Amino acid sequence: MAGAAHPEAMAPPKKGATRTAPPRMPGSWWGAPRIRTYLLFGATGIIYLLAGTVVLRLVWALGNGPDAWDYALGSLSHPLYLIFHALTFVSLIFVGVRAFGTMMPKMQPRNGPFPPLPAAAVRGLIYSVWALLTLLLSLVLSGKIF
Amino acid sequence: MMAEEARTLTIEITRFDPDRDEVPKTQEYEIQVQDDWKVLDAINYIKDEVDPSLSHRWSCRMAVCGSCGMMLNGEPKLTCKTALSDYDSKLKIEPLANFPIVRDLVVDMDGFMEKFRKVKPWIVRAKERAEDMENLSEKGTFSQSPAQLASFKQFSMCINCLLCYAACPVIANEPEFIGPAAIALGHRYNLDTRDEGDGQRNAIFRGEGTVFSCSFANECSEVCPKNVDPAAAVNQAKLGAVVDWAKGLILPRGGA
Repeated sequence: MAGAAHPEAMAPPKKGATRTAPPRMPGSWWGAPRIRTYLLFGATGIIYLLAGTVVLRLVWALGNGPDAWDYALGSLSHPLYLIFHALTFVSLIFVGVRAFGTMMPKMQPRNGPFPPLPAAAVRGLIYSVWALLTLLLSLVLSGKIF
Repeated sequence: MMAEEARTLTIEITRFDPDRDEVPKTQEYEIQVQDDWKVLDAINYIKDEVDPSLSHRWSCRMAVCGSCGMMLNGEPKLTCKTALSDYDSKLKIEPLANFPIVRDLVVDMDGFMEKFRKVKPWIVRAKERAEDMENLSEKGTFSQSPAQLASFKQFSMCINCLLCYAACPVIANEPEFIGPAAIALGHRYNLDTRDEGDGQRNAIFRGEGTVFSCSFANECSEVCPKNVDPAAAVNQAKLGAVVDWAKGLILPRGGA
């Protein structure tokens, strides 16, 4: 097994007469591909934190007048920013795909007497809505509509 | 029918004697195994023929009792359900992760039993109603439609084998978390139309052992040998908590 788990993990409410060895974490913790995906999923939080600071910077620039706003917008075209945009885009897709995959449980909630839709149909629906919203947002942000 | 050919397999097993050992150690056994054996057959062979001092739990041999869960090469599995042919050269058998080890492959389950008891995994009635008890044979009291049964049946397939606890990264780090199987079974009774104990269970789900500790690793549902989906129960319980919270903000008297 890998490292030690929390010493109180699954500890009995009252200490028994027999001495026990402390709990250990599963050995697959770092090695299993599923766990690596889970850790990567958690690590994307850092990217969203950084993206949040970019948004704050833009809001700050907005409050400082049109020149500051134009400068802030212009700086987003810097190659480092472009790399960051690409990273954010990839991490968003990764989180979405993982969430849509794992949030389609074997046991779906039921609404009244209606049987749940097949998982593939729900997943298809989610991806369609996602693609549609992305397209709509892209058109709005690029000034093609509205 | 031809007899299965025997092969040699090295099995590394965790040993711990609370009277002698400070910490668990490993011991290797090189035995002749047959590919139609389950892993439990190999452990029983070692116990019966090689080393009678080895301690392990098992009972039904058909993935029903949930006694023989162990870590096989780091993955929590039922040893009676796992074919030995899945392991080519070396197999490492350890007690379930995240549990105190009592002896060798035996873990202390009392911590789970305490969590399990907290979620009241039985039908709770607010009070025994007089009309429930009248003319039982005629009306078939507590009758339930197939659709109502289907809403929770999957969760009721849990055999308390604790593999989900051994796989859960949150259990390893947050002792207060009530855990996958207890939530799945508590949620199963919350969904049962005959039950009126959801308030008591939700107090546990949303309080001390909160379902929000779950960080969506989904390992519990991946390792479940009975295809139960504890992660779905946890997430449905989370959603229920959020909906009730929103109702409390919007509706008069909290929507009660």
